[in-house]
Amino acid sequence: MMGLGSVSSSLLLLGQAAQVQQVPAASLSVQGMAPAWAFWILSVLTVVGALSTILRRNLIGAVMSMVATFFGIASLYALLSAHFLAAIQVLVYAGAIMVLFVFVIMVLNREEAEPWALRSPVIKALGTGSLVYLAVRLGEMLLSPKAGVLQTAGHPSGEYGTVASIGDYFFTKFLFPFEAISILLVIAVIGAVVLARTVAKPTSVHEAGAAPLPSSNGDGDDAAADASHGGH
Amino acid sequence: MQQFWQNLSVISTEHFLILGVVLFAIGVFGVFLRRNALITLMSIELILNAANLTLLAFARAQQDMRGQALALLVIAVAAAEAAIGLAIVVGVFRNRHNTNLDDLTLLRY
Amino acid sequence: MTENFPLYLIIVLPLLGAALNLLFGRRMGNSAVSLIACGAVASAALVATKAVYSLATHDLPPNGMLIDQLMAGDWIIAGDLKLAAGLMLDHLNSVLVLIVTWVALLIHLYATGYMEHEPDYARFFGYLNLFTGAMLILVLGDSLPVTFVGWEGVGLASYLLIGFWHQEDKNASAGRKAFIVNRVGDFGFLLGLCILYTVIGTLKYSEIGSHLFELRLPFWLNWPAGYWVAILLFVGCMGKSAQIPLYVWLPDAMAGPTPVSALIHAATMVTAGVYVVARTHFLFDMTPAAAQMTVAGIGAVTALFAATIGIVQRDFKKVLAYSTVSQLGFMFVGVGTGAYSAGMFHLMTHAFFKAGLFLGAGSVMHAMGGEGDITKMGGLGKHMPITRWTFFIYCLAIAGIFPFAGFFSKDAILAGAFASRFTMAENAPHWAKSLIDLYPYVLWGMLVLAAACTAFYMWRLYFMVFTGKFRGTHEQEHHLHESPAEMTVPLIVLAVGSVLAGFIGVPEIMAHAFPESVAHTLTFFTDWLSPAVVPMSPEPHSHSVEWGLMALALGVSAAGIGLAAKLYRGGISQTAVDMKEKFSSLYRLLWNKYWVDELYDLIIVRPLKVLSRVLWQAVDVVMIDGGLTKVGPAVVGFFGSVTRRIQNGDVQRYLIFVVVGAASVLFFSTWWLPHKGTMGKTTVEKRRVTLDLGEGKVKAGRLRFRVDWEGKGEWEQSGFTTLFHDYPNSGTYNIRVEAQDSQWGFTSSNSFPVKVE
Repeated sequence: MMGLGSVSSSLLLLGQAAQVQQVPAASLSVQGMAPAWAFWILSVLTVVGALSTILRRNLIGAVMSMVATFFGIASLYALLSAHFLAAIQVLVYAGAIMVLFVFVIMVLNREEAEPWALRSPVIKALGTGSLVYLAVRLGEMLLSPKAGVLQTAGHPSGEYGTVASIGDYFFTKFLFPFEAISILLVIAVIGAVVLARTVAKPTSVHEAGAAPLPSSNGDGDDAAADASHGGH
Repeated sequence: MQQFWQNLSVISTEHFLILGVVLFAIGVFGVFLRRNALITLMSIELILNAANLTLLAFARAQQDMRGQALALLVIAVAAAEAAIGLAIVVGVFRNRHNTNLDDLTLLRY
Repeated sequence: MTENFPLYLIIVLPLLGAALNLLFGRRMGNSAVSLIACGAVASAALVATKAVYSLATHDLPPNGMLIDQLMAGDWIIAGDLKLAAGLMLDHLNSVLVLIVTWVALLIHLYATGYMEHEPDYARFFGYLNLFTGAMLILVLGDSLPVTFVGWEGVGLASYLLIGFWHQEDKNASAGRKAFIVNRVGDFGFLLGLCILYTVIGTLKYSEIGSHLFELRLPFWLNWPAGYWVAILLFVGCMGKSAQIPLYVWLPDAMAGPTPVSALIHAATMVTAGVYVVARTHFLFDMTPAAAQMTVAGIGAVTALFAATIGIVQRDFKKVLAYSTVSQLGFMFVGVGTGAYSAGMFHLMTHAFFKAGLFLGAGSVMHAMGGEGDITKMGGLGKHMPITRWTFFIYCLAIAGIFPFAGFFSKDAILAGAFASRFTMAENAPHWAKSLIDLYPYVLWGMLVLAAACTAFYMWRLYFMVFTGKFRGTHEQEHHLHESPAEMTVPLIVLAVGSVLAGFIGVPEIMAHAFPESVAHTLTFFTDWLSPAVVPMSPEPHSHSVEWGLMALALGVSAAGIGLAAKLYRGGISQTAVDMKEKFSSLYRLLWNKYWVDELYDLIIVRPLKVLSRVLWQAVDVVMIDGGLTKVGPAVVGFFGSVTRRIQNGDVQRYLIFVVVGAASVLFFSTWWLPHKGTMGKTTVEKRRVTLDLGEGKVKAGRLRFRVDWEGKGEWEQSGFTTLFHDYPNSGTYNIRVEAQDSQWGFTSSNSFPVKVE
């Protein structure tokens, strides 16, 4: 399947990356405690999770894989010294958004007949080919010998990635986007409520399967909104 | 052989970037190829996460906190978008009693 | 030389009145409307009088003037042309300004009575004020373009007012006819204006005089530029002042309300042409005298032509209309022979009695319930004494009876024509040169004949209307009454003017007889105008000749009146009817106005209509409409039906296209350049091979090249696109080239097989 192809190509790339990495100038020595193998394990976990998300027939199974992926990603964030973000990732994504998905899946209680979209082989080939090309090219670009951009200072300074420094940013330089995001979330909440509410007049006595609970979506939303407001 | 293990133990920014590309590719495949609207939405979240990962990798390399701030904003936006998307899916489902994207072809000539 | 004065008020006040009446008149009620309209003109008249007074009393030299601007700054800025909307008042247009404002005021007052029962009252007065404002722009303008704005403005106002009762087709057509014929004239005017600018680079009246040298240079067909400008401007005057061949609109214009005919087609608008000729007299004064001869000739022919038509007309206003055309011809003879003050003088006196005649006609028609056919009138004198006696005075004036105004002005023109001299160009043929001496006498003769006809038809009109027995219906007879005060007072004022106005233009020989101070007043007009328009000095002839001419003119007029009295006094006499029978073919010729309208219709109107129809049906409907509504959509529809199949509603598919697109963009932007960089050609010269890479599309420094010349793995690095290599041995080599994009790092390679001797 396509997934395997992409996995193999990505492994190839990783191999190439390893080869180019003769020069240890751009090294990312994570803060002592997390050895390199942590990265490999977590990345494998993440990729496998992602693949399984898109490949599983069972919806709940897909959701669970997604949660695993998110955990992996959160850990990777931690590796990148983005501790606060890792926490937020778990809270918001795994905690709120996936819960929302689960709610909706419960409401839409249907089984998949045929999971794969019907599409002409030409389109499928075209899409796959372009995507692979894109990915390979991007990878090649990123690996090309260019000095400067990817140099690190080695050990990151103590202040990097702490909650304090993020807070500092958000309340001084990023204040406007911060407030704007709040407004965006309010709009999203309202929008979701409006979109999902029941229409006033029922056409017939049975509305098959239609037992929508606007409040459940609203709760989910509020949770999501509250979570990201956590830094408020 | 020794060299191989040696190489594997030095993680650089490029590693994270490649991982980001891989996740992005997987997410895009998910959007293309699945019929269920919910899986599609999840794949979109995956794409957003891949982008976040790349963003944070660069931020780490540059020691610039702004990348993290931006990533946080992206998470917030993704949350909002997921909510709306799901609301739409619910609405669509009410009319059609399934969530096949193949059937949502009204935007046609 | 010049002094500032708020001349703009004279123009702005009537226009303001027009705006108010047109926008709000309906809601304001008739009395408010009349107050605004008459008030506007009255205040303009007062300002004008003050202005002329200042001009006269301030310490200005004789050719000095008052100046002002209508808008601050420049009006036209186009290329080299910088023109301000300037106004000026000098001795020449002071006459006209006073005439226009005061006569307009009288007619406005008259119209408040005449149009009393008119539902569109406000609109009428709005247009009337508009006309007044535009006419004043024309008169006060200091350059040809400003005058032209007024020129067009009065044309517009004339159209609006002639077709005022536009619900009736006849009236609307008359308005259209006036506008279109005027337009023909305007075209000539504009051409003249353009040529003038091209030749001397300025359009201000005050500056024409200083460019006479350029104007004398040959411009086209060896005639000087000044001549062409003069002729073209005169074409405009022919249209505006109803001379042959562009007079046909004036009789039809009688379809408008009578105050309109009085104001526009008697006293003011039609005189604009005479004014322009006088104003640009430098152009006409140039020798050879071709321009002047043209003007005078056309004037004389028109005068006689129109007078003959007037003899047989039965409609009250039509008689007056043809009379106007004829009298305008007189004025043009005046300015055409260089007797500018005579022409302007006649303009002034004519304004008085012609306006009075029209207002009297209105009064009569008012009493007759709108009837205009004089064969149905008669004996109205006893019912309308004021109208009758003022009409009597006007007729005496227009017939040129001493001592009424018309006598002096007409006499001035006749004397000027008789005494004028024209010179021809050096290279003119001999027969022309001998005939030229006769030209003044020909002019004079035609004018005398026209004067005779004038006296005849005006008194025919008078007798048929006011004397004898009533020939109309019974109910009309009951309705007969004198008009109200708003209408009779202006009549009286104008009658007084017709009597007294002559006394400021008394000719020298008469004025001599009086003591110095009186004589000064008597010749005031000529003295006043002389600085502005230096008359061509006619050859002075003896006093006896002058007296003789005056006596002759008087006798001719008297004879005309006598004949009219004999035929029409007390009613249409049998002799008149017999004469009509006897000269029936001549009568038919005159009754049908020489069939000029029919001729125009045949030559001009019909072909135009056919052309219009063809253009409409063939070109507009089929080609343009069809092309745009059928061809365009068909093409677009075809392409649309092909390309829209991409959109089948499947959003995921669209997303695939997005990715494909992104990949393509990436591909091309990064692949193309190195690829191009490895394309090139080789040139072999003995043992040296030159490699030109990039096909000219590669910028220096962007690509890094690696060349393996001899296939041995020794790579030469370079940044240049032209590389060469000297081969030590001959043979066939495969040159390998690699190009790397220094920005993105992508590489492309190629090989060139080459054979070295």
